[in-house]
Amino acid sequence: MTRAVRYAGLLAGLVVLNFALPRALPGDPLDGSAAGGMSSATATLPAAAQAQLRAYYHLDQPILGQFTAYLSDLAHGNLGVSISRGTPVAQLIGERLPWTASLVLAAVVIAAVGGSLLGGLLAWKGGRLDRAAVSAAAAVAALPELLIGIGLALVFAVTLRWFPLQGGQASFPESGGVNAFALLADRLLHLALPGLTLTLAGLAAFLLLARGAVAQVRGAPYIRVARAKGLPETTIAMRHAAPNAALPLLSYSATRLAQAVGGATLGGAIVVERLYSIPGIGLLAFQSIQARDYPVLQAVFLLASLSILVVNLSADVLCQALERRRAA
Amino acid sequence: MRPNRGLGFSSLAVIGAIALACIVAMAILAPWLAPYDPRLSAGPALLGPSGDHWLGTNDLGQDVLSEWLWAARASLLTAALVTIISTALAWLFGVAAGLSSRLDGAAMGVCDLLLALPAVPLCMLVLSIAGSGRRNVILLLALLSWPVFARVVRAQVRQLAHEPYVEAAQAMGAGRLHVAWRHILPGTLALLPAKLLTTVRFALFGEATLAFLGLGDPASKSWGTMLGWAFNDPLLFASQAWLWRVLPPAASIAIVVLAVTWIGTGLEQPHEHPAQLRRPSAAGRRNASRHQPARHAAQPGYGQRAPGTI
Repeated sequence: MTRAVRYAGLLAGLVVLNFALPRALPGDPLDGSAAGGMSSATATLPAAAQAQLRAYYHLDQPILGQFTAYLSDLAHGNLGVSISRGTPVAQLIGERLPWTASLVLAAVVIAAVGGSLLGGLLAWKGGRLDRAAVSAAAAVAALPELLIGIGLALVFAVTLRWFPLQGGQASFPESGGVNAFALLADRLLHLALPGLTLTLAGLAAFLLLARGAVAQVRGAPYIRVARAKGLPETTIAMRHAAPNAALPLLSYSATRLAQAVGGATLGGAIVVERLYSIPGIGLLAFQSIQARDYPVLQAVFLLASLSILVVNLSADVLCQALERRRAA
Repeated sequence: MRPNRGLGFSSLAVIGAIALACIVAMAILAPWLAPYDPRLSAGPALLGPSGDHWLGTNDLGQDVLSEWLWAARASLLTAALVTIISTALAWLFGVAAGLSSRLDGAAMGVCDLLLALPAVPLCMLVLSIAGSGRRNVILLLALLSWPVFARVVRAQVRQLAHEPYVEAAQAMGAGRLHVAWRHILPGTLALLPAKLLTTVRFALFGEATLAFLGLGDPASKSWGTMLGWAFNDPLLFASQAWLWRVLPPAASIAIVVLAVTWIGTGLEQPHEHPAQLRRPSAAGRRNASRHQPARHAAQPGYGQRAPGTI
């Protein structure tokens, strides 16, 4: 109950913030001259056209009227029209979402599974390899997507030329007709480096966390009992240790997903897409900064915060269910 | 095993401290060290490294070494200011929320909301409207980075508030501010190094990332701005110019952050050992385990902005 109230409060806070931020901040979206001297595309329009735009965005109404208009637009799924492209924002987002979603989901799943297995295995075996891996992981975990991405691009795309440097797919497909399989392979090739960047950025944290969780479980009395019973090592690891070590990893998966989506650590998909020119939502947002395309930026912010909210809520519910089961 | 590991960490910490000191010194001395004015064209565009231009020139013919020195100033100053403001906010809200039940709900509500916000999209929206001058970038990064540690400080304060010596001071009639300043605050200072290191890292990356996305201060270039401008050039990889345009700023961000991380690991080591050695008693162990939640809260997976991944 309290959790429902908390999340409802957060949702309301986010919706209000998305409405209030552009209005509370200094600067006029239609003038733009206050925004660090950079004027927007609409600053040069004649006064009549500006007034028309103002009326279109309900900016001529009192603040309460603006808020109800905003809420009703939101309820109808109307996110406005992009200033620089003239297309409805919802349509733009819909076109770009598959790229970002597949990139982020694949990277987080690979990082979570791979990092957990690797970390668990290292902690279970221990030894010199374990310590070396921990130092390496701590160093990688200290680096953001920006630097990991630049490093990978310089090595594998610029120097070795194994992977394409930019774009989500080849600009000029071969003339002999493109079959679905070749298209998929081409896209995978283009998404390899950005995906690897996001994976590496998440992997190290999973590795360290899994290592800690397993190391804590490893010396527990019930493991000693299992070993004393003469159970095989894999059974002890999989049946007795893994379920008990998994809970913090599960909740961190949600955190990592939120980070990769919204850049909670100031990185995430937006930086990676801009670096590799992947035509997803991040690149759309980057291009919208340069065009001062506020409706798009606002929609990206709302979408990112809502997905983080949903991810956190589901992780909360899932973790609580698991904990209750474990306690029972 | 112990001494060997401790030595390994501390030598890394020394290397980190030396590297950081060198870069900070170069940043401070930039006006005297820089051979050219970084804003003016100092020669032909995209010149390779030579005796005249140690790191070559960029696409506008500006001397990259001078650009790098002045950018170090901008990057490090931003990181330092963000860290100071964010630390002050974290302690202010953490101590206030820990001591006053009236402020607690509101402060933690603000924390919840700030932690639920997607940082990059928020920065994009705010900075493109309000302008991406250095002051706005600093304020925004500071605002985004205080909540995690405010929670940790609050937890520590709540625990300290029930210590006998605090209750004794209250019973003797000490004022609330006096208790907060003299008895509670010193008990939270053990958290300070972790907060400083985490935030320096966050601020450095945050500024670089935002500048890379075109949200840096156009008036004073930072390392992130250098990267962003280089990657805006469609012909960046057409020649070897990326060697001196991309590598110096990217490598220096990495070096500063690794140095800070190593110093942090070196600082943590001596902090933990004496505590374990000094308190072998059962009471001591109980005490130590009561400290655990606060430290755990600063580890990946427990706070939204996990220090290890910032």
